[in-house]
Amino acid sequence: MKNTKKKAPQRYFDTEDKQPEQKGESNNQNVEVYNIKITPGLLKTNKFKNYRGHNRRPMQKGKQNKKFEGKAPLAPEKLEAHSRGEGVGKGVRHPLHAAKLRKRERKITYAQEQAARAEILLTEDHGCLEVDEDSKTTAISQKIIADNVDISAASKIFELNLEFGPYRAKYSKNGRHLLLGSKKGHLAAFDWVTKKLHFEINVMESIHDISWLHTETMVAAAQKEWLYMYDNTGTELHCVKKMDKILRMEFLPYHFLLAAVNEFGFMTWLDISIGEVVGHYNNHLGRTAVMTQNPYNATLCLGNSKGVVSLWSPTIKEPLAKILCHKTPLTAIAVDNRGMYMATSGVDRSMKIWDIRNLDGPVQDYRLRSAPVDLEFSQKDMLAVGLDEVVEIYNNCCSQTTEKPYLRHRMAKTINNFKFCPYEDVLGVGTSNGFTSIIVPGSGEPNFDALESNPFQNKKQRKEAEVKALLDKIPAELITLNPFDITEVDVPTMQEQMEAKKKLLYLKPKKMDFTPRHKKKGKTQIARKKIIKQVARKEFIEQAKEAQKLLNLPEAQNTKKQSFGVLDRFVPTVKSRK
Amino acid sequence: MEDIEETEIVASEHDRLVSAISKLDKTQHITEPTRNEPTNLSSEFNLTKRTNRLNLNNVAKILEDTAHHVQIGKKLKKTQSVSKVLSKPLEKPQAERIKRATGYEATKKKVGRWDPVVARSRTVDYVAFPLKHASTKLEPTGDFLTKLKMKSDLERELEEVDPSPMVEDEEEEEPVLPLTYEEMVMHRQRLAKMRAQQSYKAAKAKRQSKIKSKKYHRVLKKEKLKQELKEFEELQKNDPEEALKKLESLEKARALERHTLRHKSTGKWAKNKLIRAKYDKEVRQELAEQLAVGRGLTKKVQDNQSSDDEADDAGVSNIPLSQDPFNNWMMQRSDKSNINAEFDFGYKKYIQNKMNKRKDDSDTDSNDENMDDEDNTTNELSALKASISKLSQGKNQDEEFNNEDVKEAQTEATTNVNATRKRKTRQTETQKIEKEVDQVVSNPLFKKSKKIVAKTKVSKPVATSNWEVEAIDDTESKHSEDVLSAFESHETSVAKKVEKKLGEIRRNIERLEQAGRVNQRETQKIQDTQQRDNLEYLKLKNKKVKAVIDEELIETSSKTTPDEVTDQGLSKVLNTAVAPVQEAAIADIDTHGFVATKPKYLNSAISHGENEYDQLDDDQVVPRVNIEQVFEEEDVVASFRQEKEDEINKDKPEPINATLPGWGAWGGKGVKPQKRKRNRFILKTPPKIPRRDENKGDIIIKEFKDPKLAIHKVKDVPFPFESVKDYEASIRAPLGNTFIPEKAHKKLIRPSVITKAGKIIEPMDEEELLVPKNRNFKNEGVIKLLGQKK
Repeated sequence: MKNTKKKAPQRYFDTEDKQPEQKGESNNQNVEVYNIKITPGLLKTNKFKNYRGHNRRPMQKGKQNKKFEGKAPLAPEKLEAHSRGEGVGKGVRHPLHAAKLRKRERKITYAQEQAARAEILLTEDHGCLEVDEDSKTTAISQKIIADNVDISAASKIFELNLEFGPYRAKYSKNGRHLLLGSKKGHLAAFDWVTKKLHFEINVMESIHDISWLHTETMVAAAQKEWLYMYDNTGTELHCVKKMDKILRMEFLPYHFLLAAVNEFGFMTWLDISIGEVVGHYNNHLGRTAVMTQNPYNATLCLGNSKGVVSLWSPTIKEPLAKILCHKTPLTAIAVDNRGMYMATSGVDRSMKIWDIRNLDGPVQDYRLRSAPVDLEFSQKDMLAVGLDEVVEIYNNCCSQTTEKPYLRHRMAKTINNFKFCPYEDVLGVGTSNGFTSIIVPGSGEPNFDALESNPFQNKKQRKEAEVKALLDKIPAELITLNPFDITEVDVPTMQEQMEAKKKLLYLKPKKMDFTPRHKKKGKTQIARKKIIKQVARKEFIEQAKEAQKLLNLPEAQNTKKQSFGVLDRFVPTVKSRK
Repeated sequence: MEDIEETEIVASEHDRLVSAISKLDKTQHITEPTRNEPTNLSSEFNLTKRTNRLNLNNVAKILEDTAHHVQIGKKLKKTQSVSKVLSKPLEKPQAERIKRATGYEATKKKVGRWDPVVARSRTVDYVAFPLKHASTKLEPTGDFLTKLKMKSDLERELEEVDPSPMVEDEEEEEPVLPLTYEEMVMHRQRLAKMRAQQSYKAAKAKRQSKIKSKKYHRVLKKEKLKQELKEFEELQKNDPEEALKKLESLEKARALERHTLRHKSTGKWAKNKLIRAKYDKEVRQELAEQLAVGRGLTKKVQDNQSSDDEADDAGVSNIPLSQDPFNNWMMQRSDKSNINAEFDFGYKKYIQNKMNKRKDDSDTDSNDENMDDEDNTTNELSALKASISKLSQGKNQDEEFNNEDVKEAQTEATTNVNATRKRKTRQTETQKIEKEVDQVVSNPLFKKSKKIVAKTKVSKPVATSNWEVEAIDDTESKHSEDVLSAFESHETSVAKKVEKKLGEIRRNIERLEQAGRVNQRETQKIQDTQQRDNLEYLKLKNKKVKAVIDEELIETSSKTTPDEVTDQGLSKVLNTAVAPVQEAAIADIDTHGFVATKPKYLNSAISHGENEYDQLDDDQVVPRVNIEQVFEEEDVVASFRQEKEDEINKDKPEPINATLPGWGAWGGKGVKPQKRKRNRFILKTPPKIPRRDENKGDIIIKEFKDPKLAIHKVKDVPFPFESVKDYEASIRAPLGNTFIPEKAHKKLIRPSVITKAGKIIEPMDEEELLVPKNRNFKNEGVIKLLGQKK
């Protein structure tokens, strides 16, 4: 207190005087001095500036408002996940249209942002089995799982002992209903969660394959001679005699197509919305009992006895592509939900993973102890492998080489087929005498889109969904290897037309840049392979090094050479390796 | 009042004083008479120094005093008032025209105010009608209450004293008047302004039309011409397309002129003159002028991309027309040297000037030649110039030249030069003739020159077959060296010229190819670029299936005769040159089973049928029995590869064999065609774009166009887009609510015009101009686009 009193009161001009001096000193060397003559014009502009600044200030205040900071920033990776690719550039010169396109681009980015923001609504996360380091997940049996989950989940582990021979099982699209069909003619449909039976009949013929149609009220069964359709009370709706002796069936939900291949190699696509056959031809592959659909582009994958997988579409009577997968007959094919990977297995007890989108591979090559009976991908890309009476589930087996199975379930009966239940962590296995349902933690998609497929839908919603699905039906012609073909301009035809137009007199030819939008970005095939080669080489070198270490070879001793200073370069070099 | 009297007194006294002083010197001063009476005699005493003009105003002023003389005064004034005689009104069409012009300008300005409004409403996402709606925004209560104010004490007191009058009566009256006073005044002012402008313009037009001075008109014309030229040049810079249009309109005018019989010797006037022309030189001149006008108008206007050569040709054709020795009407007089020039107005003159300039250039060149005829290099130089001009000419005519040998081009060029030289000599000769007026002498000479011209024309390139393409003359090499040296020295200038000449519109590969024929150097360059293009093309489309188009193939017409095919020798050679390189690049990578991943032996379960003991959990298990060998069929792989090979070969087009066995050589069994012929006649197809499955091992991907899919695909890129890429980008994003969030979906599918049911949509009023969003709309491009009048 005393000190302050003694001090002379500080005046504002004192402090002000000091500051400019300091500034001047510090800035003397660095700052250029501009001699500005003040003119009335300058004053005016300054005045204007001040005025504008004054106007701005409240806005800044608003920005600084900590209470409402606006929307949360989005992570760029999340945005990237919803990106639709590069937008329209500056190619459009017409000012009005350019302005309109710019506005549209803004809306598209808005949609992208909204989609990224909507991710917050996906609250559920898929689980998995976690064990200590010294134990294995394969050691966890269904019993242990049943003991540790809640009662409603535990009820999903069940077994049906049925007597009519090997059963095939299929789940409906929303995963709520189960269809069973046996070799000896037993056909049953039920809500497997509540175990409520829809119908149960014996068709008194062999059933080779079964399939749900677009809703759970209709099922198709490939019987001994023809294809039959039943409703959910077991009433026969149709007998399709055009499709006979069917071996395998697949229903393509977005195209409303029931695709089937028969004993003689005839393939048929039946449009069930209009009852018309859109494609019917022989594949010239002979009897092919291995078939699956690629959900990404709705092509059919057929595996024949020569180890070749061929891809088919209804409009083209030749395979779109062929892959020689194994040197032995194929036993099973499975394609994952995103259409990225295809798993094939042959009699040679090998299982390969292929990059089906780029038609390349194999990505992985596994050897098993016995030949798989069936393969199936879950929604979360787990691969179930059926080996006679054991089901093994592999996690992360596509992008990286897996070491051991994730889960293993052993039964007392041989496996006929199995399917993962959509939106559930459940694998349903059709066996030689019945049906077994087991829990595979983390296999199903935890978040369902109720507008897409709703496991809890009621009758009204089902009807609504049916109408909407019919409205959104995709024509069968659009089944191609690249589902985005439709978004591309038919450049060859266009060029032909333009050439024809050029020949007309008095017509100004249009200028056009024909480069398509999607170019192969990144590495080319060759470059990629080179990289792979290099990596392999590096690996080899490292391995060799390690091997040398193991062998304990005495290292070549590098005795220091005599140095001659500058004249070193004239010393003849002796090659070390000889 | 007193002051005034005082000053009067002072003034009179001052006058007296002045007169007294003036009388001091003995000279006699003649005082001004206060009153004058008109007399015929002019007396020496009545000399007046001032004008004797009577100022009637003063007279009238006097009359003003008495009341009944006012009328007379007024009359008097009226007679005096200088009343202008109204000018004779303009002729009706002229007046109308002026009225329209002024009206148009006014209206344009008035309508132009709406440009931003229109532009904005076109650009915005959606327009909601009706435009005016009460704002539904709720004001905060506090803000609302602040607007309500109690009356102050003063106001209240004033109200008590003077209660506010009933306003309603006035309000009722007001709408009766169509316009308020201010509006009326404004309206009248506007009208007056319009009228004033109109009359001003009318007067101006009249004045100008009255001017008879030829010189004035000439100057006017020149000015106009200059102005137009300036505009044209600007237009050329800014908007070449517009400039082209203008040129086209000129062409149209020419066509019209050709169509009509104006400025020909068929009219009544011309016929009259024709009769008199025999005797009168002046009349002859006039007629010639008239004809020249017609000629000027009907003369084909060359666009500025036209070449030297053409210009030279035009020069040739011009000279005999204006200076035809047989036609003395056409003879130019020495005093009126440039009749033609006078009638060369507009763009034609501009172009002619340009051509003249070029001609001068070549003149100087040829002068050099004259000085040193043996000098080869200059010769070569001008040859080059000529050939280059030919190139641009080719562009103009836009015709597919057949493949030309370099040598041919050169020889042709040299002949061209010779022709020009001869032309020059001919010109001088004709001038001589003019002086001597000796037709007899000139005749043979003229004919001779004409012959030469014809010769050169004959030697102009016709379609050369490929036989000559291959043939190599030893003179070529000798020439080419000279050419190269000459070219190097003048490369820059030539390049500039070429650039200048070629409009942006026609800059394409065709040009390059044609240029390639001009000389070797350029062909080399083009080869390089093409090669690069080709390489890039192959590179880009490495694994791409779509857009499988070989440009080289498309450029040929459908019926490919051997000639035409060899026309494209360059590209063909290139293709074949490129192909092996690529193949080599592919070849050094072992394709089969390259990425064969190492098999991973999994410790999978073993079904009880096989054995029970092996349930060990070791990580890597090596199989004991190699069961795959049991099932494996080696021929599976081989047959699959064979299939792939077949598939690849199926698409490959066979090389076309165009040899005629026995043609020019011995034919028959066992006779092998010559290697030279084989090379020439067997057309190797260009290499295909690499297949998608090329390096993928045992994978076959069929490549075909699906006609059923093609129905659904877009075959044409709609209007605002100029590249496939942009269009594809514009349709890349889905709109459906199953793909994107509902909010975004709604935003994307909102209609551009939203109307409310049952609401009348009123037309916009001028208040819309003042709405800030309209005033702030600043997209100049759109405003300009929508505001432009067509």
